[in-house]
Amino acid sequence: MAAVAAPSVFAGAANVISVGVLLAEFGMFRQALLRDQVRLYAAQSGLISVLAIVVAAARHLPELYVLAALSAGLKLVIVPLVLRRLLRGAGEASPGEGWSDIAGTGALSLASTVLLAIGVAAFGFFSIGALGIRSPVLPLTALAISVSVALVAFVLMIMRRDVASQAIGFLSLENGISLTALVVAAGLPLILEVAFLFDLLVVVVVFGLLIRVHHGRAESLSTADLTSLRG
Amino acid sequence: MSAALPVPVIQFLQVVTIAAAAPGVSGVIARVEARLQGRTGPRVLQLYYDLAKLLRKEALAPEGASWVFLAAPLAAATCYLTVPLLIPVLTSYGLPLGYMGDILGGGFILSLASFVVAVAALETGSPYAQLGASRAKTFAAITEPVVLFVVFTVALVTGTDLPYALAATVRSSAGQIVRPAHLLAAAALFMVILYETGRIPVETHTGTNEFGMIEEARPFEHSGPYLALLKWGSAMKQLILYTILLNVFVAPWGLAATPQAGAVALAIVALAAKAAALGTVVAIIDNSFAKLRLFKITEFVAGAFLLAVLGVFTLYLGGG
Amino acid sequence: MLAIIVILLGAPVAAALVSLRAPLAVAQAVTAATGALCFALVLALVPAASHHDLGYLSYLRIDAVSVVFLLATSFLYAAVAVYSVGYLPRDSRSPGFTRYYRRFYAGLNLFAWSMLAAPMMSSLALLWIAIEVTTVISALLVAIADTDGAAEAAWKYVLIASAGLGLALLATIFAYYAGAQVLGEHYNLAFGPLLHAGARLPHAPVRLAFGLAVLGFGTKMGLFPVHTWLPDAHSEAPTPVSALLSGSLLAVSFYAILRYYQVAVAALGPRFPRDVLLVFGVASLLLAALYLLDQRDYKRLLAYSSVEHMGILAIGVSFGAPIALAGVLLHVLAHAAAKGNAFMGAGVLVRKFGSKRISAVRGGLDLLPWSGPLFLLAVFALSAMPPFGIFRSEFEIVQGGFAASSDAGAAVLIVLVTLAFLGLSAAANRMLFMPADADAAARYSRGEPSAWMVVPVAAGIVVLLVLGVHPPAELTGLLTRAAALLGRVA
Repeated sequence: MAAVAAPSVFAGAANVISVGVLLAEFGMFRQALLRDQVRLYAAQSGLISVLAIVVAAARHLPELYVLAALSAGLKLVIVPLVLRRLLRGAGEASPGEGWSDIAGTGALSLASTVLLAIGVAAFGFFSIGALGIRSPVLPLTALAISVSVALVAFVLMIMRRDVASQAIGFLSLENGISLTALVVAAGLPLILEVAFLFDLLVVVVVFGLLIRVHHGRAESLSTADLTSLRG
Repeated sequence: MSAALPVPVIQFLQVVTIAAAAPGVSGVIARVEARLQGRTGPRVLQLYYDLAKLLRKEALAPEGASWVFLAAPLAAATCYLTVPLLIPVLTSYGLPLGYMGDILGGGFILSLASFVVAVAALETGSPYAQLGASRAKTFAAITEPVVLFVVFTVALVTGTDLPYALAATVRSSAGQIVRPAHLLAAAALFMVILYETGRIPVETHTGTNEFGMIEEARPFEHSGPYLALLKWGSAMKQLILYTILLNVFVAPWGLAATPQAGAVALAIVALAAKAAALGTVVAIIDNSFAKLRLFKITEFVAGAFLLAVLGVFTLYLGGG
Repeated sequence: MLAIIVILLGAPVAAALVSLRAPLAVAQAVTAATGALCFALVLALVPAASHHDLGYLSYLRIDAVSVVFLLATSFLYAAVAVYSVGYLPRDSRSPGFTRYYRRFYAGLNLFAWSMLAAPMMSSLALLWIAIEVTTVISALLVAIADTDGAAEAAWKYVLIASAGLGLALLATIFAYYAGAQVLGEHYNLAFGPLLHAGARLPHAPVRLAFGLAVLGFGTKMGLFPVHTWLPDAHSEAPTPVSALLSGSLLAVSFYAILRYYQVAVAALGPRFPRDVLLVFGVASLLLAALYLLDQRDYKRLLAYSSVEHMGILAIGVSFGAPIALAGVLLHVLAHAAAKGNAFMGAGVLVRKFGSKRISAVRGGLDLLPWSGPLFLLAVFALSAMPPFGIFRSEFEIVQGGFAASSDAGAAVLIVLVTLAFLGLSAAANRMLFMPADADAAARYSRGEPSAWMVVPVAAGIVVLLVLGVHPPAELTGLLTRAAALLGRVA
């Protein structure tokens, strides 16, 4: 079997950061406390901003600096703050809930869920590898990882049993998609990047409202009661 | 100008270095850990004295134990003495006996040693020994594939199965360290080492928390020289795994490039120093984290599996 | 023309702002006036769009296909605006009512605005943004009623629809990638140039983009298997919002899929995109037809009927013949009118009988002298009975199926539509024809809750008759041109 050639330092660094994003995604399976999930989400967003800066430096794309700063400000500062305020509000209404709460247990055990997520990530890797899409700025591994992050985020959203974890799962899905955009479309005009930030802002507002509505009605963040509409 | 050592001497020195230094590394870890906790701690050479004391003691066997019980420590020690021939301990080039088996073979021999010790423990009829043996083999169902995936990483990176080739590749350029596959495989191997050597977060190495024991419970029923062999064997296993991690993945420097006596001596000292450094890291981890509950150990080893699998995937797509 | 478009985009926003502050009567009047104005303006666009594509300000691009969807939205906007005058109780004194109606009308206007803006966008990125805005506003509107069911439905809706739009964003990204290979790195996702460069686009990204677009926008359109939010959201929302959701929002999401379909056909040839749409369409139709047979809640029944009709749209496009495409576009218009009518009628039933359960509604024809028959006619229209518009459009679709030699597909379509008809008419039969038992008749008085709730339904029935019996020549011209645009293979 032939040896796999080593990547350049840039490609290697980009791959390492992308792998870090994927590991953060897997880490969210493990986190039981909602505040840890939010912190992990912030860490994941931070990694993506770092990658944007690395790409901007190596490929001479000054717009990406601005984008990295904006998205860092939004995802590292504002979103966790909003989420914390929401969950604290929920925690005051019914004690034992909210920020320091243990997330609802899922349908499968953690190890089984991780194995399922590994299978899904493998599917993402190999299907992207088979497609032959070459990005001008980042290595192919980064594209495959970004699609895998999106797929694993879907698994996360499905397996979670409470409203706040599902919301954080969705936000990490947005992270995966923004990583894909970074890989495929780094030379893109600002319009698409603005679309993300807009999307994220809007999502936080809506989710926040709905979590509050849901919590106000059901007095818990669990989705175990959301079973009345069937058939 | 130092003399060039003949090849058989170097190979013999490989085995002797591992065998002689192993209890010292355990001693270093125990001492550092105690120091971090604010105690004086045992002397670094304590394990040597313990082994000497045990060799003088009487050996007992439980009723109903067969020859396997008595042969297992010898078999395990033999395996542990064989593996240093296959991995880069002192030299950066492959020695003739090093081609007896590749890294996969080394992994298998280590598993064989673990297996015979487990069989001996099962034979005894003692509840704690059986508990430890069955748990060890249960978790091994996940850690063995991790080792395999780490081996695959080596194979994909270098195109060969030989640990020497990977060490050379890593030394060749800075870019190699930065490869995610490399880092992931090293991280996965480190987590497996924590499991195999019975450290936090898998097991408490000190003290006798019977309900949590995995590795520590298996030699429960052996005594006298057999117990000495088993303790020495597990110290050797620890040092072998450290050597693989250090000399193949993390820090493959300081190995002798020529058979000069001075270079080889330097390599021995370098190995001891690197193993002590890694031992310090393990001691710090010991003091920083809590032991995982037993059913959460599956999450830990699943995490190691995840890292190893991701390492192979990133390589598979090319350039990882 | 530009003035028309500017007013179309500006008036609903202005109406929303007014509704936030004004008293109820003023808000209702302004909304109704804006709805009628928008409908008239879109009608004025029809002649121009039948002959050439319009483009302004490099953000707006209106062709015949866009105008079809604009017609659907603006008609329902006007109808629902009038209907809501009767829907909201005029003299309610409950404390939260002021906030409720202000949010309701502001939301309604903004919702209509976003659905009017989406077909006018020239770039795929702006299209995605517009549809995202529709999701947000509609989710808030679904949650506006303060019930457990509404909260659950809104949460499911937002989660599933946003995840689907995430996939659609991936589709947009891959479409950018494909376009950038041919048009250069600074390609801004404009639709026109992408379509022109169709044959030169690399295949793998376009295939991926189309698949993701069908799955992602199909989530908002209600295609199987990502339709699961639809019955909940459409049944739990307030009736005017349900009408807009079923009649217009699903159509606007279908519009997005159509744009990706055009690019995919230009790049990959007709085979792959049509097969994909056929699979999703048949699956949606089958699922809806089966579920329609066993419903307990009549708004949920109508929601499944929407899934059925969206499946029919997808199957129609997959046939590919020009007459099938014309049928699909006519179906968009007719379905908007018919579904809007049906929901509005259902709203009257809810107001009258106080429950959404089919078993609670009896003797509708007796107790509701106007709305009863009108609801019956709406259900007939949905079941593709002549002389209504949906009969004509489904006939054209089936004709197109036979013309394109997709005999099996056409046959499956006919069978499943018949099955759906069984489900719908059984429920309508029970609700309208079965006489109410004695104490129920005593409880409910005979008579309409409000005249405002009858007039839009009557108008809708008239529209359906016109569409079915003799569509006006300008409309036929528009549809022909739109079908030609969609069917362009080379």
